[in-house]
Amino acid sequence: MNDNYHIFSDGRVERHNDTVRLVTDDDEKKYLPIENAEALFLHGQIDFNTRVISFLDDHGVAMHVFGWNDYYSGSIMPERGQTSGQTVVEQVRAYDDEAHRGKIAREIVDGSIHNMRANVTYYDNRDYDLDSTLDALDRRREEIQSAESVEEAMGVEASARRAYYGIFDQILPEGFVFGGRKYNPPNNKVNSLISFGNSLVYANIVSAIRATALDPTISYLHEPGERRYSLALDLADLFKPVLTDRVVFRLVNRGQLSDDDFDSEMNACLLTETGRETFSKEFEQTLDRTIEHPRLNRKVSYQYLLRVEAYKLKKHLLTGEPYESFERWW
Amino acid sequence: MVYVVAVYDVEADRTRLFLNFLRRYLTHVQNSVFEGEITEGDLEEIKRELDSMLEAGESVIVYRMSSEQYVSRTVYGEDPTDDSHFL
Repeated sequence: MNDNYHIFSDGRVERHNDTVRLVTDDDEKKYLPIENAEALFLHGQIDFNTRVISFLDDHGVAMHVFGWNDYYSGSIMPERGQTSGQTVVEQVRAYDDEAHRGKIAREIVDGSIHNMRANVTYYDNRDYDLDSTLDALDRRREEIQSAESVEEAMGVEASARRAYYGIFDQILPEGFVFGGRKYNPPNNKVNSLISFGNSLVYANIVSAIRATALDPTISYLHEPGERRYSLALDLADLFKPVLTDRVVFRLVNRGQLSDDDFDSEMNACLLTETGRETFSKEFEQTLDRTIEHPRLNRKVSYQYLLRVEAYKLKKHLLTGEPYESFERWW
Repeated sequence: MVYVVAVYDVEADRTRLFLNFLRRYLTHVQNSVFEGEITEGDLEEIKRELDSMLEAGESVIVYRMSSEQYVSRTVYGEDPTDDSHFL
């Protein structure tokens, strides 16, 4: 149960002989082994019927839909296997208790800064002098401890991220100018890569939250209800540096993306289909990487870490065991 | 997770059965040959099911590797496992 399938072709996804198959517009038939599937990511124009939806539902497989411009546009989720009124009650209680909510929010920001810092340290050790950014992140990390409100925590996280993004222009090779984060729509190649990567992180976290009884709309750092699944936004912040940013650096520094992989028009820069495919491949390889987990005493994939994060939060809410957000330890 | 290669030799009119069954778990690489990474649990399920599907004179062989890293695999011509996750 950990394979993601990315469909870039146009065609039809259907149930066939107890598994799922894709029939492309050129009438090519490709089979997707259902038993190990975690989710289908639809990037092309795909038709499907209720029969395949029920079948995916039976197998607990989600379908994440991406729009024409790389943006996540929604998911068709399997019926909730886990339902627990108690979990939702505790989740809301923690949200409603200002002190409790603040504590979880601070913990998430603390972990995010740690993970951004890990990337900076990596490049600091490789011929770049990034001491001032490291200092800035360390100061933000001290600040977060004393943040009194959630807005303040958001502010600290925003300024940490700004300091962190400041190093991108130093690390990225010529031809890849970043100049700060812009989205809706992304204005250059680097921003389009980050946008696409972050939407993949987000969709994978939506799947991970679904595996628990947590309600994806009740969040702690982000304000709930304003945007889609705000709990997924909370947890995605922790993983963006480890997943999105590292994949961006890797692809760009290795020269695996060319101008043909981007489409620029009207102040926007978006990935083309081949660009998205290259990115998704590298992203999936990263999700498949494994690491020895000190507490679970076994090797787990990066993808599984997303699920662990949802489990940890749920356990914290139900048992009061302290929540310690994901901090890259390797 | 384990990496398996499954090959079967069954009556011509019954190959479809095995094909359809194994497609749920593995990638179809050649006539009567499947491979892929699966969980230990799924492997047990596959073995049990295949065993019950067999008739006299037919056989299935499942090669099991503890990981894909232990497989040295060279493909001449087109590799059907290429990008099986990116369609």
